[in-house]
Amino acid sequence: MNHFSTSLALIFQETSRASTAIESIKHPDLSKFLVIAAILFIIGVAGVLTRRNLLVIFMSIELILNAANLNFIAFSRYLQDTGRGDPISGQIFTVFIIVVAAAEAAIGLGIVIALYRNRETIWVDEIDLMKW
Amino acid sequence: MILSGWESVFFWIFSIAAILAGLLTVMARNAVHCALFLISSLVSVAALFILLGAEFIAGVQILVYVGGVMVLFLFVIMLVNVGAEEEGRAPIFNRPAQVTAALVFLALLAGILVIYAIPRGYQAMQKRDDQAMQQANAKRDVADSHLATAATGVSRISTQTEKVGMGLFTTASLPFEIASLLLLVAIIGSVMLARTLKQEVAADDVDQEVLDEISAASSKADES
Repeated sequence: MNHFSTSLALIFQETSRASTAIESIKHPDLSKFLVIAAILFIIGVAGVLTRRNLLVIFMSIELILNAANLNFIAFSRYLQDTGRGDPISGQIFTVFIIVVAAAEAAIGLGIVIALYRNRETIWVDEIDLMKW
Repeated sequence: MILSGWESVFFWIFSIAAILAGLLTVMARNAVHCALFLISSLVSVAALFILLGAEFIAGVQILVYVGGVMVLFLFVIMLVNVGAEEEGRAPIFNRPAQVTAALVFLALLAGILVIYAIPRGYQAMQKRDDQAMQQANAKRDVADSHLATAATGVSRISTQTEKVGMGLFTTASLPFEIASLLLLVAIIGSVMLARTLKQEVAADDVDQEVLDEISAASSKADES
């Protein structure tokens, strides 16, 4: 009887291992949100490092900040569920990140316009006045 | 936080949409297309915020990012017209060596994060918080029982926005005021940066000597 129950448990374990993948697709949890945020962050960094157009680099920075926001909101929800820590501080932090992103975009676009007026280019490899 | 039913369907739709739109933002040739793809990525992430129960942040995301920042971006794209890039005469990426180095480094980062760091860290967190999660869930079910059911039928309509407002004006009131000051500085700074020389002269902000020098230099440039 004991032998039978252990073999049953083994079979159950095997089937459960195959079904955990389907289960995690059916019921996404915190780690899925973190993976999505990490991928968005990496796409943003790739844009900053590879593009020549200054405006597209700015847009990639917005993408990076947005990935950070997604992380903050996901952990805020996790803290709500576990009851550890202050559950809404993540959301408040996100509001401030959005404010800073708006200020950064205003200043950055002002710089782009001033630069275009003086140098007639927005390609970062041609803006090399301070390069030695 | 485990989504189920329609919530998980929407999670996969919006997360895949966010990643695809992000990729197209980085790869599109026309800067206007980049901006439009970035808008769709931001809207998809706003939908993910709603799935996570942060309705206020989702609204702020759409109003501030999509309605404000991206419209500003589109204005500036129209101002600095880059025809050569759109017509395919100029390359849109840096030199191949730089691009390869960046992509190798980022692929390494992505592999470590997605395959190793996040799953291992989440497993450890889950092991630690499993009991606390069940207790908190039971407590929350009792506390939320008077709230109306959401359209998905799984979760309830929350009072998150009220809590965020309370937090902003109590625990985070000093940063809130500093943020308003930051926005004021940003407004003044962008106005100062984007002024033309004519406007600076009209406001008496340019010395006569500097003005003479600039006009001499520009006339010399015109001759040559």
